Formats: sequence, structure tokens, C-alpha cells
Amino acid sequence: MSGNGTTTSNQALLKEASNLVAGCDRCGNCLTVCPLFKVHDVERAGARGKNAIARGLAEGGLEPLHDVQAAVDFCLLCRACVDSCPNHIPTDEAMVRVRQFFTDAAGGPSAKYVLLGGVLKSRIWVGLGAFALGIMRRLKLAGLLPSTLVAREFPRNAFLDAFAGPAALGDAAQANTTKLKPGARVAYFQGCGMKLMFPDASQSTLKLLGNISPVTAKENFCCGLPHLAHGMGDTFLQLAKANVALFEDADIVVTDCASCGGALKHLASHFEADPEWRDRAAAFSSKIMDLTEYLVRAGYRSEVKRDTTFTFHDPCHLVRGQGIRSQPRQLLQSAGIFREMKESDTCCGGAGTFHMDHPDAASQILDRKRENIERTGAQVVVTACPGCLIQLTRAAEASGKFKAMHISQVI
Amino acid sequence: MPVTEILDELRQIVGAEHVLDSEVDRFGYSYDSSFLPLVPAHKPDLVVRPRTTEEVSKVMAFANLHGIPVTPRGAASGRTGGSVPLNGGISLSLDRFTEILEVDESNMMVTVEPGVRTMDLHDACAARGLFYPPDPGSWKYCTIGGNVAENAGGMRAVKYGVTRDYVMGLKVVLADGSILETGGKAIKNVTGYDLTSLFTGSEGTLGVITQVLLRLIPLPKARGVIRIMFASMEDGCATVQRMLQEDIVPSVAEIMDEVSLQAVAKQSKMELPPNAKACVLIEVDGEDASSLESQSRRIEAVADACGSLDFRVAQSKAEADELWAVRRGMSSAVASLAPNRLGEDISVPRGAFPEMVRRVRHIAEKYRLSIPVFGHAGDGNLHPSVLCDMNNPEEAERVHHAVDEIFAAALELGGTLTGEHGIGITKRPYLAKALGESGVRTLKAIKMSLDPKGILNPGKIW
Repeated sequence: MSGNGTTTSNQALLKEASNLVAGCDRCGNCLTVCPLFKVHDVERAGARGKNAIARGLAEGGLEPLHDVQAAVDFCLLCRACVDSCPNHIPTDEAMVRVRQFFTDAAGGPSAKYVLLGGVLKSRIWVGLGAFALGIMRRLKLAGLLPSTLVAREFPRNAFLDAFAGPAALGDAAQANTTKLKPGARVAYFQGCGMKLMFPDASQSTLKLLGNISPVTAKENFCCGLPHLAHGMGDTFLQLAKANVALFEDADIVVTDCASCGGALKHLASHFEADPEWRDRAAAFSSKIMDLTEYLVRAGYRSEVKRDTTFTFHDPCHLVRGQGIRSQPRQLLQSAGIFREMKESDTCCGGAGTFHMDHPDAASQILDRKRENIERTGAQVVVTACPGCLIQLTRAAEASGKFKAMHISQVI
Repeated sequence: MPVTEILDELRQIVGAEHVLDSEVDRFGYSYDSSFLPLVPAHKPDLVVRPRTTEEVSKVMAFANLHGIPVTPRGAASGRTGGSVPLNGGISLSLDRFTEILEVDESNMMVTVEPGVRTMDLHDACAARGLFYPPDPGSWKYCTIGGNVAENAGGMRAVKYGVTRDYVMGLKVVLADGSILETGGKAIKNVTGYDLTSLFTGSEGTLGVITQVLLRLIPLPKARGVIRIMFASMEDGCATVQRMLQEDIVPSVAEIMDEVSLQAVAKQSKMELPPNAKACVLIEVDGEDASSLESQSRRIEAVADACGSLDFRVAQSKAEADELWAVRRGMSSAVASLAPNRLGEDISVPRGAFPEMVRRVRHIAEKYRLSIPVFGHAGDGNLHPSVLCDMNNPEEAERVHHAVDEIFAAALELGGTLTGEHGIGITKRPYLAKALGESGVRTLKAIKMSLDPKGILNPGKIW
């Protein structure tokens, strides 16, 4: 698995980034939606400032110094700006390239990302990590670790105990009745976050999938998104190829991690200039479905409707990354009482490792999210991405008024 | 004075975290939304972000003493370089002034700080049944201080006028740091010169606005949006002219040509009827649904007579928003069509609007350029966008000639260089032609008397 021709030289990366944002009119529309600008309202923190930085670097108006890199790292890659921009300028894609530029210029990523990237790159290390955390959970030792490292999962059994109440047989939720091809070979893509942090939710997903049709669980590789985000583009390409090859015998690949799903659906775009992998990558990307997307398409609805109140947090990689908004809501409406929250699609501040790198900004963003959740009065905030679930679990602990759960655990 | 001492002094005044001096921050406050190139950047030496009028006053007194240039900045969404710190010095960012201080319902007036976003102000008033009409295209993200400093217009000017028509009073910090209060809540007020009007549209060259008193009107109870398609700009212009002559005054009457339409259609995946070469977007408001209905029927009759292709009344809030999004996204969508876009802002007497549109088209043909036009057909304010690649010297030459001729045509038709964007940096060369020598001399005399050291927003207007 060696690198290929799509690796781009250093200056070319800046040029690419600059071209991506060339249509930025600097109007400032993005500043009204950027979650980071809301908590840190200086120009460099917002999307307009970042677009200008990309162009400034490429055109020689800015030296690539440390504080420029810090500004580029201070981005959630949440695409709220892209969504609201009249010209849909892909600030996130430009930032990924500028980060790669800084990584290459420094001769490699910083030690913590190398460590993280190395662990996630290896199936063995991810497996060992999951195993160790599993033992700690069983021995009830996981609480000793800070919640930044290990989110305290609220498992389905506890949910059933807590919300057993009278199961109301309400109206069936509207479901997309499009039939999937009978006999389609379905495989489960288990993201590292689900494996390490939320094994109970992962089991629930497998059970849900198994109820519909036989499903294969594979020992897949990391989706590579952390590597892409932190300037390890070559590793991303290696992992991508390994996953493409691994899932070639599946017709549908379902994942319950919005970030993996988004990354895998966009994977093909990284191989457009690679004749050897282009078609295989495109075939792979077209097989990827988010769990909620798949369940609705398969006509699934919850067996019982409880009188539990749910609200849903839209993961960036689900709502903007994959355009999935209605499906989780349909599923939750069939499983209980659904209440919409304000700013449901605003980033929770998790954003991969952002919450570890910038704890203050992340916790300010999370405070706002927690208030929005509390205002709905919902008992459970549901989401579909382990990254968000880590943050929301923290919000749930701080609040005490609600629990945070993965959608596979409540439907 | 050594830079470190200047830094210390300013940090004392506004707090250390509100003085930015890193390279990346200085770069971030070097641009606005005009077509000035990003590089070479006009970086300020420092960015200062005060929170109170007293802090602004101290900053100005200090800057005046040491002759440091000060460029006030709001949201940097301006189109002519008004907030670009051309001579370095201090970028005085007023974005921390974000309070709506008072909504006075009995007098129908609102007191706001300059950093309040225009749409937020509108919404806060609307929640109490009051209406702040000016709605520049950028109202979602621009701020009221900038609106006043540039005397911003907007789409509703045809019926409701521009920012100036609502400014009742201002709190202004002068170049030497003294604090001036102008106007007030009394509707009739002829005590002394009309300083409120002087500072409105002064582009940050006469003082720093730290508080604004605005007049409001009752919020119209019903509103409707209509989109009409035409086979030519002539038909669209004729419709708007005839409507106004027949005393149908819409709250908005916007026109856009084919290229503009296609630009926005590309960005928003909107479908256009075949043969559509122009679109008129109209908003009507009134007491109730039947008032809208009767206005819309009369408009339809006029549009029919002028040969409209398609007449669509928005049936829901969502549909109205969709039609609006077309117009609001227009400027940015057109800008994305070419490496450079020189967005102009000429304004002509309403009756000359169709002739101005024709002349822009002839100029475009003459210089082999694409110059899409869209604008406020109801009030005569037109935005021709010269699409070009300024890195191509031969093309740049043609562009300069075309722009010169556009301005000349506007003046010849009794119009002016800018309707709502201001002169800033980008329209300076044309000022004398528009105002004449005595006009420019008068502006300079006012400037000299209020800012003798020339520290406030130097390099602007002339």
C-alpha cells in the first residue's frame, strides 16, 4: 500500500486551497453561522477569515507562521459555512489542504496526531484498545478515566430499565418504502469510535441490521478521516484502498458512524485522478449507507412506541456531509415522542479531536447545545455519530436532566 | 513613540485581549467585501476592539495626540473599501457594541449600538409590531453602524427610503476624542445644523458612531412576493415604470438580467422558464390579504400588457423565502462567475432606468465584456457587474474604459456614482466629475474642520 500520484506538492496544496475559495466574495454571511465565530468573534476564527488565510498564503500576503497554522487548526470542519454560503465555498476542504501543507512543511504531523493516526491505522491496536476499555467497563473502572478519553456510555439495557413505562402503540411513523434489492449482501462498517467508545451501541446496530437481513461484520480499517483532517493524506489513501478491497464482496455497506459514512461516501473523490483505483473507489462509495438511511429505506419501524421524549442532534457529517435530515426523525417518531431542538444542526464542538485541542471553545459550544437540549424537555438526546455522542454524554452529565444515546439503542 | 508604548497604552484603555497585533490578525482586518485585491494587504498596525463610548473616546484622543490613523470597522461587508485601513494605524473594530439599548414603543424609536446586525434589529422591532425598513442585500450580516456610516440603501427604498430616512440621532466620537450627541426623539428639530445627516454617510471620515437612534413605523400586517419573467429587460423595466405611474407602489421592485439569473440558478439549482431573459421580483405589503390580492391583480394586468412570460405569486412563506433567496444570493453568485468582478452601484433618476440599462449593454458590447446587471428598478439604483480577469492587461484596459463610460452615462442621465455603497477607495477617481470642484472643496473643508490632522479613515472619498 504505497502512496500514489494524487499526493500533491507543497505549493500546489496552497494553490488548490486558494482555488477552492477563489469564489469567496468576503461578504461575511458565514460569520452568522460559524459556531467558532460565535464563541470567539475575531476574523481569523470565522470561515471568511480562513478563506482569506488560504488565499493570503497562496498569493504571498501571509507567511506560514505558527499563528496562521493555529488559526487553520481552529476549525470544526462542520460545513455550516458551506451550507449557508451563497456560493457554497468549501472552506472545510480548503482547510484540510492547508493543514496538509503545514504538516508537510513541518516534515510530518505533530507527535500526538502521529500517535493517534498510528493507533487508528492499525486494526490490532484499535482492537486492543477496545478490548482493554471493555474490561475496564466490566470492572466498572472506566469511571476512573477522564470523560475526554472515555465517554460513559448509557447502554440500551439501562435505557430499557429507565424508560420501560407503558409502551404506547401510537401511529406508525412515515417510512420510505423503497424496497432494497432482495438478497443484497449487507456488511457493517464499524468505526473506531463506535468500537472503542460505544460497543453497546455497536451491538444494537448489528442486531437491528440482523433483524432485516443477514449481515456480515468485517474487521475493517479506520475510515481515515482523522488522518485526512490532520495532514496525513498518504495514510488516508492507504486505509481507503484497504477498505475498498475488503468490502468488494458486499452490495451495501452500512455504518452507524456519521463521520465514517461521510468520509467513505466522499472517498471516491480522492481517486478521480488514479486510473487504477478510480472505478473501484467509486463503486465502494456508492455502496455506503448510514444506518438511519438504510433502516428507513428498508421500511423499518420501532416495534414499540414508548412515551419517552427524544430530541435529535444532527451530526455535521450526517446532515451536511450526507444530506440526511429526515430519516433519524422518522425513526424516532416511531419509537417515542419527538421534540425538535433549536440549532439542532449546529456542531456540538466535538469535531474529531477538536474538543481535546481546544477544550475552552468546545465547552462553550457544548454549553449552548446543552441549553438547547434542556429547553426541549427531552429525556434523551439522540445522535448518530460517536464523536458527537462523546460530547453529548458530557453535556448529559453536566445537566443531569437528560441522557445521551446512539440512535441504534433507542429504536 | 515606540510601538510597545502605544500597545501598552491601548491595552490599558480597552483591555489586553482586545488589542490584536499578530500578523494573522492584522491580515484579517485588512480587507472588506470590495473588489480590492487581497494581496498586497492593507494591514493595520493594530486592531483595537473597544466596548464603550468612553473607551472609543480615549482611543481617539490618544491617536489624535500621536497622529495615528484610525479606520472604523463594523462587519467589513462594505463594497468600496470603506473599512480597509489604507494607511495602516489602528483598525477600530466596533463589533463588540452589540446591544439594542431601548425599544421605545410609545415614540416608535429604537436606540442601538453600532455592532447590532441589521436583520437582528429588524427582527427585534418586528417582534413588537414595529418596522425598521432599510434592508441592504447584506442585512443578515452587516451591522447598523456601517449602514449609517455608508447611508446604506436596500430593496425597500422604492417605498420606504434609505437608512438616512430613519436616523433621528447619533452619538459620535470626534477625531480629538470629544463626544458629540446629535438629534433626538423630537420629530421637529431645527436647532442648529443638521449634524445627524452630516455624519450619516460620512464613511468613517468625520467621527466614530457609537450609538444610533432610529425611527420606526408600524409593521405592515401582510406581505406577498411575486416573480415575473420577461423575454427582455425592456419589458421588465416598462412594467416597473408603468406600475409606479399608476400609483402601485410595491415595497420592493427588483430587476435582474439573464446572466445574473443564470448565475444564481447555477448556485441554487433553480429552474427558469425557457426564453426568460429578465426577471422582476416584487414585494407588496398592506393591511390584509385582500389588499395584497388587489395589488397583485393590478400588477398582473400591467405585466400582461408589457408582455410577461410568467407570473408567480408565492403561496407560502417557504416559497416567498425561496424567491427572496434568488435575489439575496445574486451579488455573490454573479461575483463567482469570473476571476474579478467590478461591482458598480450607479443611481439614476427613476425614469432614466431603462435608458441606463440600454447604455450598459452597449458599453458591454463595445468593449467585448460581460456586464450582467441587476438592481433596484423601483428606485433607479443599478448594479452593473463588470466580469473580467484583471491579470490580463489588455482586458484590464478595456475594463477601465467601460467603467469610465458607465459612470459618464450615469452622470449624463442626471444620476450619480453610487446609490448605496459609498465612494470609499474604489470610486475616488470619479468624485470630481460627479461633484465638481466646489463640491469636493466643500467636502474637504468640512473634513478639515472636524479632523484637522486627517487621522480618521485617511485615503477615502477623494
